[in-house]
Amino acid sequence: MDFSRRNLLKAAAVLLVERWASVNCAAFGHDPALNTGRKIIVVACGGIRRSDTFAEAGFQNIPHLYRDLMPQSVFYPFVRNAGVTSHYNTISSILTGNWQRLDDWGKTPPASPTVFEYLRKRTGMRQDETWLISSNKALTSKIGSSSIREFGPAYGANVIFPKQLLISAVIHAAAEGNPVHSTDRASVQPEIEAMLNSNNYDGLGWSVSGESAAQDDLTLGAMKKAIEGLVRTNAPATGDEFTYLVSAEVMRRFSPSMLVITFSDMEVAHFGSYSLHLGGIRTVDRLVFELWQQVQELPAYRGKTTLLVLPEFGRDLDGSNTNGFFNHRQNGDSTRLTWMMCMGDAVRKAQVIENPVEQSDICPTISRLFELGNLDLPGKPLPGLWI
Amino acid sequence: MDMTLDLMNERDDNEQDAARLAGYRRLIARLPVTMRPSLHQQVDGWNTLFPFERNRLGKFMRGLDSFQPTALDALTAKLRALETRMGVEHWNFSQGSDTMENASLLARSAYYAEWRRDVEQIFDAVNAASMDNAAPPAKPARLILLILPECLPVDPVTAWNDWDPRGHAFKLAGDARKLSELLIHGQPARPGMDELLAPPSGATSSDLWLIEAESKSVGLLPGAAQPAFCFLNYAALTPLRDRFLAEVNTVPKNIEASDQIMAAIRHEDWEKWWPAEFAGQPQLRNFLIDLFLSGNGALIFANAFVEWAASEVLRRARPRGLVARFGMRSKPKPFTGIAIFENQQRISTLPDVDDPEGSAIDALILARYVWLAATRYPEYEQAYCLCVSEYRNTAYLICPEGGSPPWDIERPVTPDEVSSRLAQILAI
Repeated sequence: MDFSRRNLLKAAAVLLVERWASVNCAAFGHDPALNTGRKIIVVACGGIRRSDTFAEAGFQNIPHLYRDLMPQSVFYPFVRNAGVTSHYNTISSILTGNWQRLDDWGKTPPASPTVFEYLRKRTGMRQDETWLISSNKALTSKIGSSSIREFGPAYGANVIFPKQLLISAVIHAAAEGNPVHSTDRASVQPEIEAMLNSNNYDGLGWSVSGESAAQDDLTLGAMKKAIEGLVRTNAPATGDEFTYLVSAEVMRRFSPSMLVITFSDMEVAHFGSYSLHLGGIRTVDRLVFELWQQVQELPAYRGKTTLLVLPEFGRDLDGSNTNGFFNHRQNGDSTRLTWMMCMGDAVRKAQVIENPVEQSDICPTISRLFELGNLDLPGKPLPGLWI
Repeated sequence: MDMTLDLMNERDDNEQDAARLAGYRRLIARLPVTMRPSLHQQVDGWNTLFPFERNRLGKFMRGLDSFQPTALDALTAKLRALETRMGVEHWNFSQGSDTMENASLLARSAYYAEWRRDVEQIFDAVNAASMDNAAPPAKPARLILLILPECLPVDPVTAWNDWDPRGHAFKLAGDARKLSELLIHGQPARPGMDELLAPPSGATSSDLWLIEAESKSVGLLPGAAQPAFCFLNYAALTPLRDRFLAEVNTVPKNIEASDQIMAAIRHEDWEKWWPAEFAGQPQLRNFLIDLFLSGNGALIFANAFVEWAASEVLRRARPRGLVARFGMRSKPKPFTGIAIFENQQRISTLPDVDDPEGSAIDALILARYVWLAATRYPEYEQAYCLCVSEYRNTAYLICPEGGSPPWDIERPVTPDEVSSRLAQILAI
């Protein structure tokens, strides 16, 4: 990736988070330096087939996961998604430990408590200690908390969608008759600014907590400058890159104890380009590696972080009547059977756990790591971890 | 006088159709609720069905009609009980047509896999009941020709690794680009596919399809006076596609509203957007609208359009001849690539830049998908599939089970010889 452009993306990410902090942190009176406990990061990355990743033909797409990270991880080659293989239902199921059967486009919150809610209710964590940062446009901010009366938004996570902000800005600019041009930076820039300035980002899936319209002029000015630079650049933009950069900034500023990141560049497969789909897998491979390096660099995370990386599901089998890699709705192993990698604090010995596990086992594992007590979930903690 | 007779015959046909379709609707009402939408949709769209679809629907209805009420009740009892457990009566479930909401409700039901099994069992039983005792007709030879054009740098060493192992790789001698034209149009004194697969005079053909990604095709474009072809060209459809994409991108993130908008798009007047060659072709028009509404990249990438159109043609029309020519995709544009589902020309004024390597990867897997789609249907048990990579004059031939290549694959073969042999096979 073009480094000058990446710096600009990074600047935009810093300023997005800065803005969030300026609006919300005063209310919490929060000092991130106090947040020194155990950390868990879950990275869920769209629909990826095992054959395109952890298989002889797929290793070339995941050099970092395979060569750099797997040797220090507990690797689960057989992880089953036994629920509805849509994005909203799968992420909700991972977060709740119960297979969710909700409207696929996020019209309703999860029907059982999320791990964010358990964490906050049982440990008294603040909202800025639990985040979900997502590239996926199939999710909505309702995923941050459940519809269960005793839990709900009061115990929910911060949910933000950086990629959606960029997409909407580009589309808005085009709709206004200002097509994006390498020399016409003014075309998209006002759109991004307008979205950042608006009182309510819900249309973009942005925001769970405070809806304050307060603006910090200094921050906004700096943000505008960064966006100006961002729009002027001429290299391909990947939404996952931006999602990663915002996540990295959230880690630096808030050191959340529970962070869930979802990537989605590989979902270009729905439009039928296999080469771009593989490109999305390679981007995730690189970003996960960078994330792990960031964990080692940040004192709040180094030595106390467990990182889980998994695809949400696979993709349909070549020759299926659901058009193969385009989709992820077939009821077969190509779609349901995937893998997971666990690194860091909970790993005492790198190993491969051949016994099948389910995605619904992730929530009980997180519960055990945070010592939340019995949550009465159908799954069981993942084997092979120090928990 | 002749015109009057034609009109009278047409009126008689219409009356017969109306009576037949009313009968079909009565039969559908005997089935469990979740089986009705797709059947109702076919009945409502009778005039836009291909001959194969009409025959199949008619056969299914004959099978259904052959069941005594008690026998049909027994056959469907399991599914009806399952629908009760699924809570279908409380769903906002459309019985009139397939909708996104229907699909979503079924797919997220805990009983979805069981439901699929039960529906398949009923279809199988009804279809079995419709079989007559006569010996099945001989299956004619069919040909699927897949062309990876010269601009796509397909690696000749690894290209066919993932293909059907029954196939044979071979080299073409001379200019591979001539093959498609020779096959389709033939040569003097040797008929091509256009003549061999032409429908009887006056009949509508769906037996030969030409589907292309780009406008710069070599010899595939039929003349205006050749209704024997069903011809789809992604580039030629640009005005229609652009308009359609703009409409589809207004669909909100809400399933119920999406169904309403999709239905409105389907019934919108697209008349001024159709290319001239679609005049008087309601089946072809309907096919394209269905195709565009079914996603799978058909509005976004030319190669996805070719693959998905070809797969749907095989499913819906079962032609004897299908020629699919892939093409070049542009690279996602700087900055706007994150909104790949948008019209890139509209949101960026930057010029298109070809992506030959990526396009070759895309086209190769999508060409294979077309063949895999054909293998799902018994009609293609006697099909030959020939995939030609013009880049290095290489090709891969899959013959029917137990068959052997009709030419010596150990030596380079000329396009003339290949087209001649395949034409002979189709003529039998």
